[in-house]
Formats: sequence, C-alpha cells, structure tokens
Amino acid sequence: MSARGFDIGDRLLTLAAKEGADAVVFVHEAESGHVRFAASEITTAGEVSTTDARLMLAFGRRHATAQTNQVDEASLRALVTRTTALAKVAPDDPEYLPPLAPQHYFHNAAAWDDGTRGLAPAVRAAAARVAIGRGDAETLTTAGFVEGHADGLTLATTTGLRAEHRSTWAAMTMTARTKDGTGSGWAGAEATRAKDLDPDALARTAADKAKRSSTPSKLDPGRYTVVLEPAAVADLLGFLLEALDARAADQGRSFFSRAGGRNAVGETLFDPRVTLRSDPLDPATPGRPWDDDGVSLQPTTWIADGKLQNLHHTRFWAQKTGRPPTGDHGTYHLSSPSGDKTSAVELAEGVRRGLLVTRFWYTRWLDPKQLLVTGLTRDGVWLIEDGHVTRPVNNFRFNESPMKMLARLVAMTSSTVRVPAGGSPMRVPSLCCDDFEMASVSDAV
Amino acid sequence: MPITRRDLLAFAGLAACTSPKAPSVPPVRIEDVLGRAIDAAKNAGATYADARVVRRRDQGVGTREDHVVAVSDDETYGIGVRVLVVTRSEGGATQAWGFAASAGVDETNAAHAAERAVAVARANAGPRKRPILLAPVATYRDHWATPFEVDPFDVPISEKAALLRDIWNDVRTVKGAKYMDGSCRCISEHKTFASSEGSLIEQRVMRVEARFGVTATDDATGDSVSRDHELPPMQAGWEYVTRSSLRKDGRTIAADAVAKLGAPSVTAGKRDIILAPSNLWLVIHESIGHSTELDRALGYEANFAGTSFATPDQIGKLEYAKNDITFYADKTTRGGLATCGYDDDGEKTQKWNLVDKGKLAAFQTTRDQAAWIGEKRSRGCSFAEDYASIPFQRMPNVSLEPGARDVSLEDMIAATDDGILVSGDGSWSIDHQRYNFQFGGQMFYAVKGGKIAGALRDVAYQSNTVDFWHSCDMVGGARHFELHGSLVDGKGEPAQSNPVSHGCPPARFRNINVLDTKRQKA
Repeated sequence: MSARGFDIGDRLLTLAAKEGADAVVFVHEAESGHVRFAASEITTAGEVSTTDARLMLAFGRRHATAQTNQVDEASLRALVTRTTALAKVAPDDPEYLPPLAPQHYFHNAAAWDDGTRGLAPAVRAAAARVAIGRGDAETLTTAGFVEGHADGLTLATTTGLRAEHRSTWAAMTMTARTKDGTGSGWAGAEATRAKDLDPDALARTAADKAKRSSTPSKLDPGRYTVVLEPAAVADLLGFLLEALDARAADQGRSFFSRAGGRNAVGETLFDPRVTLRSDPLDPATPGRPWDDDGVSLQPTTWIADGKLQNLHHTRFWAQKTGRPPTGDHGTYHLSSPSGDKTSAVELAEGVRRGLLVTRFWYTRWLDPKQLLVTGLTRDGVWLIEDGHVTRPVNNFRFNESPMKMLARLVAMTSSTVRVPAGGSPMRVPSLCCDDFEMASVSDAV
Repeated sequence: MPITRRDLLAFAGLAACTSPKAPSVPPVRIEDVLGRAIDAAKNAGATYADARVVRRRDQGVGTREDHVVAVSDDETYGIGVRVLVVTRSEGGATQAWGFAASAGVDETNAAHAAERAVAVARANAGPRKRPILLAPVATYRDHWATPFEVDPFDVPISEKAALLRDIWNDVRTVKGAKYMDGSCRCISEHKTFASSEGSLIEQRVMRVEARFGVTATDDATGDSVSRDHELPPMQAGWEYVTRSSLRKDGRTIAADAVAKLGAPSVTAGKRDIILAPSNLWLVIHESIGHSTELDRALGYEANFAGTSFATPDQIGKLEYAKNDITFYADKTTRGGLATCGYDDDGEKTQKWNLVDKGKLAAFQTTRDQAAWIGEKRSRGCSFAEDYASIPFQRMPNVSLEPGARDVSLEDMIAATDDGILVSGDGSWSIDHQRYNFQFGGQMFYAVKGGKIAGALRDVAYQSNTVDFWHSCDMVGGARHFELHGSLVDGKGEPAQSNPVSHGCPPARFRNINVLDTKRQKA
C-alpha cells in the first residue's frame, strides 16, 4: 500500500513545488468489508476500497486543505489548482507552522496482518452465522456486525518528511434479545488480527447476558457502587481523553483550568492506582507511530499514580507555551499496576450492594466544564448483594464524571481488554467505583 | 419494466450528467456507466440492481477569534452498486443483498463493482426467515434540484472569513466575551440513480451552514460558559446566510454568554418549561423521528441505534401524545435538510402523518420494508450518505403541526406563572427504546408572573416520551413555526450520517423534571 501512497504524494509535491508553496500530502488507502445481521438473519453486506489524497498548501501563512478520492493525473492537477486557489484567498493564519523537517519514526509491523486484509466475504458471513445459530439454538433474536479493515497511510511534505504506516483491524459486536423483549445482552471485541476474534465466545456471552437480564426487577435511582465492564469504562474514558487539551485548560475553558490561567497538571485528581498511557509501539495497543502533522508519537503518560502528568499539546500550543508537542495519539491504555482481580464478577465479590453494568448508550456531555456526562445503561444491569450478582434490574440514566469514576475507584482488574473503538486501539480494565449517580430509571430493554 | 443500456442512452436529459464543477474528472457519460453496472449485475445473476453515481463536495472555513484556522474543500466521487440475488436450490429459494463501490466512474469499474456486489450477496445467501419483497415503484425519469439563488461555492472563502471576522469585531466589544469560534460550510450532492426496473433520476442538493459560538470566562474563578448562535443549517444557497440575522448578532450572543456566566443556577424540581423551536426540534428528532423508524421498531438496529417503544401493532392505538398534537413526516418541504425529489430506492418523496391527533399513525419505510407492515408502497425514506454507502431507511424531516390558534412565544410566557424558557440546543441523550430523554439548551430564563425574570444556568430537563407529549398544554401557531435541524444524524453499521430538519412552533410542557447540573460539581 505504501508505495502507491508515496507515488501519489510525490506527484502532488512535484506539482505543489511549481506553485512555490509549502505542501503536506496525506494519502489514505482503505479496504473494508462488512456483514450486518438483524432479526436473526443476514441483512446487508458490502465491500469498499478507497484512496483519499489530502493536500495542504501554504503560501506564507495563508493555507488551505483539499481532499479528493480521484487520483488520476488530471484529478491530482485539479486538486493542486483548487487548493492553490483557496489558499491564496485565505487570510493569514498567525497560528500556521511550516511542515516539520524529516523525523525518525519506528516501523510498527505489529499493527498489520495479511490475513485480515484479505478477509473474504464468506469468512465474515460465517462469523455472522455462528452468532445467528447460537441465538436460534437458545430461542433468542440476534443482531450484529462483523467488519474487517486494511489501511495504508503515507505522509510526505515539501520539507522532505516522509512517513508510512499500515494497519489492519477486525471487529465483531452482537446483541441477543429474548423473544419476549424483557432481556438483552451484548458482547463485542476488536483485534488487529481477525483470527483473534472468537465469534462463538462472543455469541455465548451475548446470549448468556440476554437470558440472565430478562424480566428485570424495578430499582430506584440513586448513588450506587458500580462494577463497570470494559465497554462502559471505555465509553466514559473517551470524554476524559477529549478534555485532556492543554489549550482549553490554559485558556480557562476546561475542567482542568485553574484560576490565574494555570492548569491542573501535577494535581492528584485520581485514585493512586490509576495510570493512563499512550504508546503505539506497545504490542497491546499497536497503532500509528506518527500523527497527521508528522509528529513522532512518543510513549506518553497522561496520568501516573493518580496524578495528572500531561495534557495534549498541538505543535502551535506547544511552541506558545514552551513545551514539546505530545502529538495526536490514537491509542490509549488505562491500567493499574496493582490488583489481583481478573474479571467484573471477581470485582463484584467485594461489593456489599451495587450494580454490575455491561455498557452505556447515548453518552453525551452534560457540562464539559464540570466534566459531567450523561448517558444510559444498556444490555444488562444486575444488582450485586453481599458479593453476589443476584438479579437483573432496570436500566438507568446516569449523570456522572469520568474523573470521579477514576477518583472514587474501589478496584480495577489487573488485566485489560481491547474494546471496539473504530480501529484505534484502546485497552481498559473492568473497574469498580463508589457513589455513581444513577439519576433516573429507563424503561428501555 | 427492466431497464436496458439502450433505454438509458435514450434518456437525453441526462446525457451530460457530468458536474460542471468537476474539472478533476474527465467527462464520462454517467448513463453509460450506470447502464454497464446494471447489465453486469444482471449478467452475474442479480434479480434486482440499482446504482448511484454520487459526487459530494464539502467546503468549509473555520475561524478562531480574528483569524482563519482552517480552510477545507473535500470531494468524493464514485459509484455504488446494490444487488438482490435470488438463488434457487433443492432447499428452496434464498435471497441476499450485496453491495460494492468504486471510486472509478467508468464502465470497467462499474462492472467490476457490480460483480463484487453479486459475489458478496452470494456469500451471504441462505434461507430467509423474512423474504425480501420490494414494494412496487413507478418508473421515473426525472431530475430534481434544490432551489437557490447564490451558489455558496461561488462565494469566495475570503468573503466567508470576513463575515466571521466582522462578527468577532462585534463580539470583542462585549466585556467578558473572550473567545469565539466560527465556521461556514457548504455541501453539494450530485446523485444520479438508475435501477434495473427502468428509473433514471438525477438530483442536485445544496446545503449550507454558518455558525459561531462565544465563550465568556471569569479569570478570577477559572469559570467559563459558551453560547452558540441558533441559525440552523438549511437546504439553500448562500442567500439564506446573508438574509439571516447572523452578521448582526455578535453583540447579542456575546452578551448572552456573559449573562449566562453570571446567572444563578436553576433550582431543581418539577417545573413548567417553555421550549423555543430552536430547542424543541431536537426533542422531536429523538422522541418522534427515531421512534417511528420501522427498521428500528422491528429490531434491525438492535445492535447499535436500538429499538423503539412504538411498534406497528400499536398503529391507531398508542396514545403517543395529547389528542390535539400531530407530527408529520415530510421529504418535500422547501429548505428541509432531508428534502429531495426521490429517495435512494427511486421512490418519489412524500408527506404523511406519523402521529395523528395524538395517536401513532404510521412509520417511515423503504421499498423492502413496506410489506413488513402490509403496506403496498414505500414511504420513500431510503438514503445513503455517499457513493460508498449502502442505502437504508433514514429519517425524513419530521415536524410538529402548529396549533390552530395564533399563540406566540410571548403569549406562552405571559400565561406562565412560574417556569423556565429554554432556547437553542445543548446536551441531548435518549435511551435505546426512546423512553427516557434528557436535554439541555443554550439559554435559559426564569419566567415569573408571566414575565422573563433573568437568565439561569446549569439547566437540563428530563422526561419520558409519552409522558412528555401528554404534558404539552400549549402549541404555538403557524406564524411562529421554524425549521431547525442537523447535518449529521447517525445510524446504521457502518455508521452513516443523514441531514434532517424538524419544524415546530414553540410549545409549553407542564411539571417537567428540571435538573441543576452544577450540584454535581467535583
């Protein structure tokens, strides 16, 4: 994939050089295939291959970016013409920085799998049929999605910077529902290699949750100790990641802002057992080792031992504040150095009264300044009593903060799992935290 | 009636279906390409095929305070081919859909995409629990386009940037208004559809959006709030932006932000709320629009977007809202973001009631869904976001019918002794069967003794769909009807985005659960 990407990049750079502009070319070659199933049968399936070329041209501090999926010679010339016209009429951008000089990047072969790139429609269909068959055997209605992706990315600039990366990923998610509509269970997984997915195990998990969640008891809203399975943890964590922005914090627009234009870096805001890192070269989270600006993504610790260590700095904000740019990371790993529990059920053993939650749904900011998020539980909530998961209960709307989730931590599993996250590896544990606000009841199943 | 390449070539009106704004691609005869796709699909064994050649262009300029931070112009172009394959064997007939897409818009790539689509369908073929039945559709040979005066792509980027810079120059005069982000965006969609049943339809859709938001900060406390302008995106030309009040509203929006920053938090509890159209549209979207999607109601979105509390067996029975409230679906209204002449099944677009005088009346359907509920014709709700996406049921514009009396927002305020007025959209969330929802807003005002009594902050309201629509005791009149909407409504796997509008007058709701979001402060 990379050779073709660089060929397109070089052709665009040659054309851009004639215009006398700084140029950055990003080429994304993507191959994807999927099958969808619902109401216990395959519904739609498709395959798409695309090549997108994105060109940034800058004349001094005037710049513009244009993108096309047509990469023949005439189209690339037209792309340069279009981008040039836009850039030349764009006002000066005082925040503009020229492209980086050549950087050193590590090659990350662990992000690629030949077998996943060539995943045949029949293989995807077979995974769907495993799920449907499990549902049929247990008198459950099934729905789900199986997908495979191969991506080739190249970056080339007029300053001589060149970067390339190839990655594959596959994911399967499924929902099983009881025929009477009183129970619903979900399972999902994502992997760099499709063969690491286990459709039968996922189907068994979803089916088991559907049956065990049926005919839930009514339970009042309130503050509960909760055991959150990985999908729920990752959903809330995503809001925290969005808030880790240095510029917003320094400008007084963020939860991490402090009076007098300061920010919260250095403060112990989380439980001391919490560590959050990004490292695309970690085999557990194999990702792209450079970002769209060409910044080499170094291992970065955001939270260590409960202390906020770092905020995301763009190249501009890093220069303005005299710090190194962090780059725009796409991989995250939330973990704890301690802990001997390995599953959500084991975490529940330490809970006197609480809730076991499968996943969340429709999570949205309620108040970003307070890091406050709303959302709902979905596909299995159970009451925990004296360390035992005793009975299914209704779903809830929550109004809660991911910061508080990690501050009121009771325990985390020592192991982490990669959750479905659109191909950007994210590994999280199951965790238990106190005082989680379930604000109102949802009648949804 | 089956379509042939000769039929397509004879359709002279589309003989020059190349975009005049597309110098990047050598001219090709779109009808040749579509005809080749249909032929190849049929030759490979498809019993039905349709194909779309779609060019989509999305241009934007983004600003931060006084300067431009982003200028972008993205274009995709390609062909998507969808096929239905029926295979007969000893075990009986099996059916399956298949889809493939190519960025190469020529006959060779079209044929290859069609053959891949058939191969994908064959890989998925198997006995059906629910047969795929396509509702009959007339054969259309037509074209349709958004009516507009000024092509927004002809308006220079510098002019759009100047508009936003001028607004900032007003915003910055308001003490406490410290930051502003702004953007102008225009999106064009040029789609040509052909089916194996004989239709050939060309459509050109134009959508525009211009917006800005102001952040007010208190450096002494580190506190801040933001306030977004409420001009909605619209299917229109640039004249929509220049005729709006956007350019003049910088100081007003900045003053709103400063007022909100200094406002008291709301007192939580059961309250009467008056919702301006700029807030109510999103409640309609979530609690009416998504609930009446037939695929969702029957479990076809169970793994992602969820199902619905409203099911077809409740048509004519479910008391969805008070008996004077009607909601209608409409893909024909001028300006609506989901408006077009024909859907992506080639069905003509329509208008119909979803909730009629309080009772569930109908659902949104596509050709392969109509038979699920015994209907003879599709409601014309098929849509794919681009050439590379599979068409499926997407939301039409869904609106609240105005009340019979000429009631205004001011009338509602005057009639309210103790309540809260909410305008603009903020936080939003609803459960996966559309019962429990919670919304925020942009501006909140206390209403006391029939008058506005100052701004509030930290407000959200929570309710359940049926309870909420039964609590509505005032609906504004037709003169106060406004169309709002979103360019990005997500659904499906792979996820697709659908632009959609919702019209409504203001309305009042009694005894709603209001939250003070600040009480949760860390």
